[in-house]
Amino acid sequence: GAAMQRFLGPLLCLWALRLPAGTGAAARGLDVASYRERVRAMFYHAYEHYLESAFPYDELRPLTCDGQDTWGSFSLTLIDALDTLLILGNVSEFQRVVNVLQEGVDFDIDVNASVFETNIRVVGGLLSAHLLSRKAGLEVEAGWPCSGPLLRMAEEAARKLLPAFQTPTGMPYGTVNLLHGVNPGETPVTCTAGIGTFIVEFATLSHLTGDPVFEGVARKALKALWKNRSDIGLVGNHIDVVTAKWVAQDSGIGAGVDSYFEYLVKGAILLQDKELMSMFLEYNKAIKNYTKFDDWYLWVQMYKGTVSMPVFQSLEAYWPGLQSLIGDVDNAMRTFLNYYTVWKQFGGLPEFYNIPQGYTVDKREGYPLRPELIESAMYLYRATRDPTLLELGRDAVESIEKISKVDCGFATIKDLRDHRLDNRMESFFLAETIKYLYLLFDPDNFIHNDGSDFDVVVTPYGECVLNAGGYIFNTEAHPIDPAALHCCRKRKEEQWEVEDLMREFYSRKKTKKFTLKRAPDCEGENAKDPEDPSFEKAGEKRNSKKSSHSLLSCPSQSFTSKLAVLGQVFLDNT
Amino acid sequence: SCSRAKDVTMPAKLPVNFFSTRSPVIDLFRGQLDYADQLRQDSEIVLYFFYAPWCGQSIAAREEIEHVASRLSDQVLFVAVNCWWNQGKCRKQKHFFYFPVIHLYHRSFGPIEYKGPMSAVYIEKFVRRVMTPLLYISSRSKLLDFLSNYEPGVVGFFEFNASPQPPGYLTFFTSALHSLKKDYLGTIRFGVVTDKRVAEEISLVHSGSVYLHRHANTSLIYPKDIMNFTAENICKWALENREMLIRWLRPHGGKSLLLNNELKKGPALLIFIPYNPLAEIHPLLDEITKVALEYHKCNKSQAAEPDLQHTGDSVSPAFDSLVTDTHPKFSETFPIAKYPCCNTVVLPQWHSISRTHNVCELCVNQTLGVKPNKVHVPHCNFLEIEAALDSFYLQERTFFQVISNTIECSNFLSFYSPFSYYTACCRTVNRHFLSFISSEKTIFQTPKVAFSSHGKKDSTQFSIPHIEDRNCFIPDLNISSMNITGLSCRTNKTLNLYLLDSNLFWIYAERLGASRSTHLKEFAAIVDLKEEVHYVLDQNQSLAGPTLENFIKNFSVLYSPLKRHLVDDPSVHFHEEHVVTEVTTNTFHETVFLSAKNVLLLYYAQWCGFCASLNHIFIQLARLLPPDSFTVARIDVTRNDLPWEFMTDRLPTILFFPHQRKEQSVKFPEDFSVNLPNLLKFILHHSSLSSSEPCTKECLHKESALQQGHILHLEREIKKLRSEISALHQAHGQLETQLSEARREEQRLQQQKHTLEKQHKTLQLHSEQLQATYDQKNQELLEMAEKLQELADASENLLKENALLRILVASRGGKLQSKDEIKGPLQSEETLSEDNDISLATATATSEEKRIDNIDTIDTEHSSGNRTE
Repeated sequence: GAAMQRFLGPLLCLWALRLPAGTGAAARGLDVASYRERVRAMFYHAYEHYLESAFPYDELRPLTCDGQDTWGSFSLTLIDALDTLLILGNVSEFQRVVNVLQEGVDFDIDVNASVFETNIRVVGGLLSAHLLSRKAGLEVEAGWPCSGPLLRMAEEAARKLLPAFQTPTGMPYGTVNLLHGVNPGETPVTCTAGIGTFIVEFATLSHLTGDPVFEGVARKALKALWKNRSDIGLVGNHIDVVTAKWVAQDSGIGAGVDSYFEYLVKGAILLQDKELMSMFLEYNKAIKNYTKFDDWYLWVQMYKGTVSMPVFQSLEAYWPGLQSLIGDVDNAMRTFLNYYTVWKQFGGLPEFYNIPQGYTVDKREGYPLRPELIESAMYLYRATRDPTLLELGRDAVESIEKISKVDCGFATIKDLRDHRLDNRMESFFLAETIKYLYLLFDPDNFIHNDGSDFDVVVTPYGECVLNAGGYIFNTEAHPIDPAALHCCRKRKEEQWEVEDLMREFYSRKKTKKFTLKRAPDCEGENAKDPEDPSFEKAGEKRNSKKSSHSLLSCPSQSFTSKLAVLGQVFLDNT
Repeated sequence: SCSRAKDVTMPAKLPVNFFSTRSPVIDLFRGQLDYADQLRQDSEIVLYFFYAPWCGQSIAAREEIEHVASRLSDQVLFVAVNCWWNQGKCRKQKHFFYFPVIHLYHRSFGPIEYKGPMSAVYIEKFVRRVMTPLLYISSRSKLLDFLSNYEPGVVGFFEFNASPQPPGYLTFFTSALHSLKKDYLGTIRFGVVTDKRVAEEISLVHSGSVYLHRHANTSLIYPKDIMNFTAENICKWALENREMLIRWLRPHGGKSLLLNNELKKGPALLIFIPYNPLAEIHPLLDEITKVALEYHKCNKSQAAEPDLQHTGDSVSPAFDSLVTDTHPKFSETFPIAKYPCCNTVVLPQWHSISRTHNVCELCVNQTLGVKPNKVHVPHCNFLEIEAALDSFYLQERTFFQVISNTIECSNFLSFYSPFSYYTACCRTVNRHFLSFISSEKTIFQTPKVAFSSHGKKDSTQFSIPHIEDRNCFIPDLNISSMNITGLSCRTNKTLNLYLLDSNLFWIYAERLGASRSTHLKEFAAIVDLKEEVHYVLDQNQSLAGPTLENFIKNFSVLYSPLKRHLVDDPSVHFHEEHVVTEVTTNTFHETVFLSAKNVLLLYYAQWCGFCASLNHIFIQLARLLPPDSFTVARIDVTRNDLPWEFMTDRLPTILFFPHQRKEQSVKFPEDFSVNLPNLLKFILHHSSLSSSEPCTKECLHKESALQQGHILHLEREIKKLRSEISALHQAHGQLETQLSEARREEQRLQQQKHTLEKQHKTLQLHSEQLQATYDQKNQELLEMAEKLQELADASENLLKENALLRILVASRGGKLQSKDEIKGPLQSEETLSEDNDISLATATATSEEKRIDNIDTIDTEHSSGNRTE
């Protein structure tokens, strides 16, 4: 290990010295509104050509101007682009598409589908569309958000995936036949992300529908991964779901693993779940220890921690955004600035970038218009308002328009060295890339709501406060309103408790002397309260005396963060 | 066709014009680098703009370049080269990591890379510097102007009377160009004097002398006898010895530790002014630099010396012979042969101190073979060591992966010059040894002067990575008199002074609390990174010399009257309709402490995921609690500073300030999950402890108010319940319709079932009938077969009979014949009877045929019956 590190050291510093010079245009400010409109035009150019030439196929083939099925046969691009329509403010088209999907999409088909992709794109897309449908002016039924046609579709799609979870370990197969379940002879090898990327969608489904089976299988799969991590706390990128043996032992934060870490954090936020967060924090420590070099994250052997590939993958660029969600903004910005230089070199991020050589890796030169770096820019812009992040947005708009725009849409870049194009437009281009770009340039979008606006919805289960911000994006950029999870199940018990407390609140002051004595009891009751599991955990915490602060919190920004803009980074004082 | 379409790819579009054809910039959009080189012959000054057409930065810089080109097109050739097009020469030969790249050529000298801001004025200024790297100083007044500038000035004296071009002039000229390569901000200015009398003002006698002017320290003359008179050496000498009393900070936009390194040296005064590099005069800048000069004028004797600008008297620079006498710091004991130039860098204490090094000797290795001058300061020039540090710190992580107990050296490349590199030798020393080293170093430099305070300073600052800076070594004198002159050396809170162009870097000013509303972008702030505080010059005061002086003085005095500046978010406006009150720095005290309510305050940050997902809970809480006695408030602490005592290190944090006991705020326990019942319990618990005094009138009044609140609450509850009821009704209705629909559906299905059953029955009946007919037919068929058999038997009998008859007939015939032969008349009678026999036989045959026909019919009927079955 040490030898490898020593070997890498000088190579990495060569890289660090190539800093781009000369900004200044940054300080003058970008015309954010005009870029926002350009992103909107990009969306419609791609969307309209999809409808015209490719619908009802999954994807548009922009060079031949026709369609093809890729991940199933769900009109995937349409489902994926649905909530982008609303974020762009196109209410009428959103409504039209919802009707089209209700009529046209059928999951009772003899198709082998990826469990992972179907979950993040179809289930996630339908869930977010369901939760946004009231905002989009659709007439919703009385039980909304706990029932509705889109929710039923999402549930149906998710149920088709459940057979994949019937394994000895609880970790799901990668592929399932929507009609017949797992095919006999199906390979038991699944990538880590394909196992750990369900909690956001499945927990939402369980909370909305009241059926705990979804959250249950998702949690079981997460725990199985956690149990099988290596002694040094890392996970590989492919595992046998029957025997729980690691098949591919490269450990990193990119392809094959990425959204597992993402969902630990997002699940923790969405469900206020300390267990998920503590898992992530443990991984985070190991990742910092073994894979982080000079603000890059390399690939290491999961048992030994030795560097196996000194590459940066395009998929890894989500990491700074994730770090900003938990408050590690300084490190996030430093890593982001590294990644940005790669974009500046090619006008996109190659799938693999060899860091010591400073160039692309053979057979991995493509850029399928992935969203990850833009996603991170959006999160970081929320946190820092650094104009450098808008500059990345500008560069992305210019590059994508100049390089990949064709008459029929936007084409995947097959090779970043010469900008040759491929006949494909992945559905995440409209679902994610465009969405994050637009949100970067639209700071007043309802998605960025900081809680100053909200909706009150009366359901048969009681009154709910919804759309108060804090949306959690699933890994396909479909936003989930965390407030909706508190709207359906368990609602009544909590409401009764609150009503009791309010009654006490108004009565206690009548008998002040009494309350004085009662108050400590109240505390005692709290501590013993067996109903609430968090209190029990609190007790354990105190006994273990491990950390003084809650896992579900971010550190405050340091003083230097005031000046950490326009590329300036600060080193810790400690 | 399907598989073929999968393989369809498309090459990149052909390059097109990047600049418009009317533009003064020649656009080689096919990357014709060879042609670009040819073009260089045509013009004395050429600017190359290497771009990539997809690059946002190239696109943004395009109009800046066009603007400069339109102003300078008659003197400078502007050539833009597409260095991305993969068929082009440029892409094949050059390997850029970013775009655009700007290269300048002065005739054959170049390339000089421009690394400054991509703004037309800065680019133009730089191009002009390349055009005229030397300023011609014709008179005494011009000389004074030249020298009074705050930026270091180098003057060469060359007599043009003797020969058309005096020896060394070209070298001096080249060194001026050379300096632009290193010092891309162009802070060192080069001037040339041709008049002997003017040269005497600065004690230059011999043609070919080069003079570096310094304000606070003694000016220098280039030591020709020690260093070779080459362009590189002159440039290097000037860079190393120049004075930096006040520095421009121009972050380049990429990842950089510039501010980190500067601010960690100690408290810094950042002055933001709008700066136009092309402007002839900068009155505000002059005023600021005057303050800076005064501040740094430490040497008592020198300060007393009449200033050049004021008196106009000649100032004699320190010649080599004088240096050692007048300046003890240039001690003879210093090992002048020590090379390359090095600097000790103290690294922060890392967590894993045992396996890392904390002191590094950072050396710059370049232009080997040059012997240093005696006056050569044992330090690297500022720019170089800074660049080295920048590179060094950026990859310190990597560096410290090396585990070793011995001194570890490694080389790494310089960012500024690809041909030079730095050496860093690191070792671990303990605290004691460290302070010893720094003291030793101080002794080394200042053999006689008091160093104790300096040494102490070093040892206390050891935890911050910093260059062991050379401060002034003048002992404290006149500390009581609050005069700005030489203050930097009399205080232990020495400020480093920096300038920032507010046209480019106003964002830093905003971050430090500059008001966004002012049109005048002038701002000054003192930032103390170590103490994590900053002070701001009152923005109502105009930024001028006296106000700056006061600002500095106020910072320097023992009990500073300056107050820590708290930045607040001006974009927040107080909304009555917001259920959750948004608190800022300015409204904090009023909302939390002055209001006569219980206050629940949430500390949050918009970017923190754990905060944002709590929004709905706080909204619900605020809607639940009576607004006239409770405030649910929140403060975004990334945009609003608070006094230390109210700050928190984790987010979200929930504090409760009970009414009448605001000072006894309580924190919501972090281990408890944040939900509505828990928050209510928390509030109930802590608000209940309010006054236990006997009930007075006021109390009664309060009580009634409370009950009023209760009534309101209940009314709200009722309203909520009503709406819930209506929602339930709606849901009920919905279910009802669904149910009735289902019932109808059921009925329909029932009916369908009935009809189907009926159909089934009839079909069954039909099939039974068919079965019966089949059986019947079968029976008939069997009967027929039997009959047929009978007939067949009968016919066989008949045939036998027939044969017998024939035999009989034949035998009879034989008898008859024999009788005929005997008796003729009897024959006719016999014939008659025979005829009868024959006719009988014929009849039999006919009936036989008929029977066969009959069988055929049965056969046909049988098969048709089969078909029916």
